[in-house]
Amino acid sequence: MKRTIELRLTRAEGAIVRTLGLIERRGFAVTAISTRSDASSETLLLRLEVVSADRSFDVLVRQILRLFDVRAVLLMESQQGDARAAC
Amino acid sequence: MKGAAALLAALRELGVDTVFGYPGGAIMPVYDALLDSGIRHVLVRHEQAAAFAADGYARVSGRPGVCIATSGPGATNLITGIANAYLDSVPLIAITGQVATPLMGTDAFQEVDIFGMTLPVVKHSYIVRHIEDIPRIVHEAWKIASSGRPGPVLIDLPKNIAAGEAHGITRLIEPQPPDRQPDAIFISRAAALIAAAERPVIYAGGGIGIARAIKAFREFVAATGIPVVSTLKGLGAVPTDEPLFLGMMGMHGTRASNSAVQESDLLIVVGARFDDRATGKLDGFAPCARVIHLDIDPAEIGKLRRADVALVGDLGALLAALHARPRVGAWRRRCLNLKAQHAWRYDAPGDGIYAPDLLRRLAVAADGELTLTCDVGQHQMWVAQHCLIRSPERHLSSGGLGAMGYGLPAAIGAHYADPTRPAVSVSGDGSIMINIQELATLRRYGLPVKILLIDNQSLGMVRQWQELFFERRFSEVDLFDNPDFAEVARSFGVDALTIDTRGQIDEAIDALLNHPGALLVHCRIDPAANVWPLVPPGHTNATMLEGAMK
Repeated sequence: MKRTIELRLTRAEGAIVRTLGLIERRGFAVTAISTRSDASSETLLLRLEVVSADRSFDVLVRQILRLFDVRAVLLMESQQGDARAAC
Repeated sequence: MKGAAALLAALRELGVDTVFGYPGGAIMPVYDALLDSGIRHVLVRHEQAAAFAADGYARVSGRPGVCIATSGPGATNLITGIANAYLDSVPLIAITGQVATPLMGTDAFQEVDIFGMTLPVVKHSYIVRHIEDIPRIVHEAWKIASSGRPGPVLIDLPKNIAAGEAHGITRLIEPQPPDRQPDAIFISRAAALIAAAERPVIYAGGGIGIARAIKAFREFVAATGIPVVSTLKGLGAVPTDEPLFLGMMGMHGTRASNSAVQESDLLIVVGARFDDRATGKLDGFAPCARVIHLDIDPAEIGKLRRADVALVGDLGALLAALHARPRVGAWRRRCLNLKAQHAWRYDAPGDGIYAPDLLRRLAVAADGELTLTCDVGQHQMWVAQHCLIRSPERHLSSGGLGAMGYGLPAAIGAHYADPTRPAVSVSGDGSIMINIQELATLRRYGLPVKILLIDNQSLGMVRQWQELFFERRFSEVDLFDNPDFAEVARSFGVDALTIDTRGQIDEAIDALLNHPGALLVHCRIDPAANVWPLVPPGHTNATMLEGAMK
């Protein structure tokens, strides 16, 4: 199953690699990434396409939310784009 | 003020009075500042032991432990200890020296990317780039390490930052988040499930001790009268001699606990995470049970087993809010019958030392008032099965990582956290060699830590598995060439005695409880002794192998 996840991260050293590493270690493959900064450049916005055959995306979102630099996570309901905020 | 002094001043502000570490080049400014800091530094003889000692300190005190190492090999030697704290949710602050910032990324002497290496095993981490940030980072690290689900935080401190002068200190004072009140709707759903249950079991995990929720947990158990099983780390959530306690569950759990869980129609999971060592084959675990899962960490909900009701938050508050009086008299009798029917036996044949009996008698003689630390292997399981444990912070065991070498340094940390409670490290002849250099730490500081070394001249747990599951093809498990452990201890200046017959047990227990200083009791046992019962790998907890006592 492929899902799209949008994240808002504090711009801090290691924030991106920490987040991507967690996603891969938890058994998901990241197949696409795009990133941009917000207007103040204090946060990074990441949009990821993430694939897993059998792992729970809801659990993954909660695991991402444990990261100190993560401010918000949005798990898109489907490829067509219905979104559900996780925090 | 220099950066190193600012670091230590921030730790002092947080109440830190003891740190564990080992000096080296890049961390030298911190060691220089330590001399004037008022903080006690305990010099261990390997950085891994610094992390384990800080871990033991944290588990006993309930406050973050602090360990310090230099860059490069000092930092990499900490990693096992950091991982141990991560997997067992122990609050830890690991401070590493780093080469000066202009040299970072140049493959400088003793430069490693410890920030990158530890990313998977820390709750958070920092590289300090500006001296002025040090107090903020230390306070933030402390808060992260100790709040919510605790864990380790790494602070990597470049040498020029530690040695540089600060011009104006920043400090972020964050408002405390409001206390999260238990959700009344979910509490009432949980209470309804409990009230309707006919065969409920409370599954106690390490989170109860970590949350310091012992009182609320015991009140919940007493109010409901529901039988209790525990994970390795949950031992002591109720005293292990409490009548309603059925024992540890899982791979080396008791028949009563595993049978009760498999028969249950409701599991009330408190601060536990459905670890594979506890559940056995997951899809056959408690097949008829609904689940109420209480945990501080929302990421544990539904990770391995779906929860019918999830209660996320502080365990003490959740348990205090959860009121239910199920009618479980018949079920309780069934569980207590199972417990009586499968009670431990200690009448092993011969006059050799039966390790479970020795451990049981030691804990009973101390009335459970010891801090028992364990290494990893057969002895670790025997401690969990047979020792009287009155609370989780008196039983320190490397649960998640399973790190041999944990026991002795953890006992050192436990001693500093509570010098009034005797610390006994139970070890094996494999494990003791992983951090045996810490005998020098006992000697250096005159620590009255005791070591009970159970010697079966092999890597016993691996040997047991090779015997049972690898057609007795024994590979690299024979430790016939061990040193004379008593002589090794004496060479470090630690008293020692050796026992190998049943008639010497009383003398050994007396020495372990009353010898005035450090002591190693070297106890030889039958090399063929195994840990029973055992759920074979790939099976559900309904399948339990038994074997002969040796």
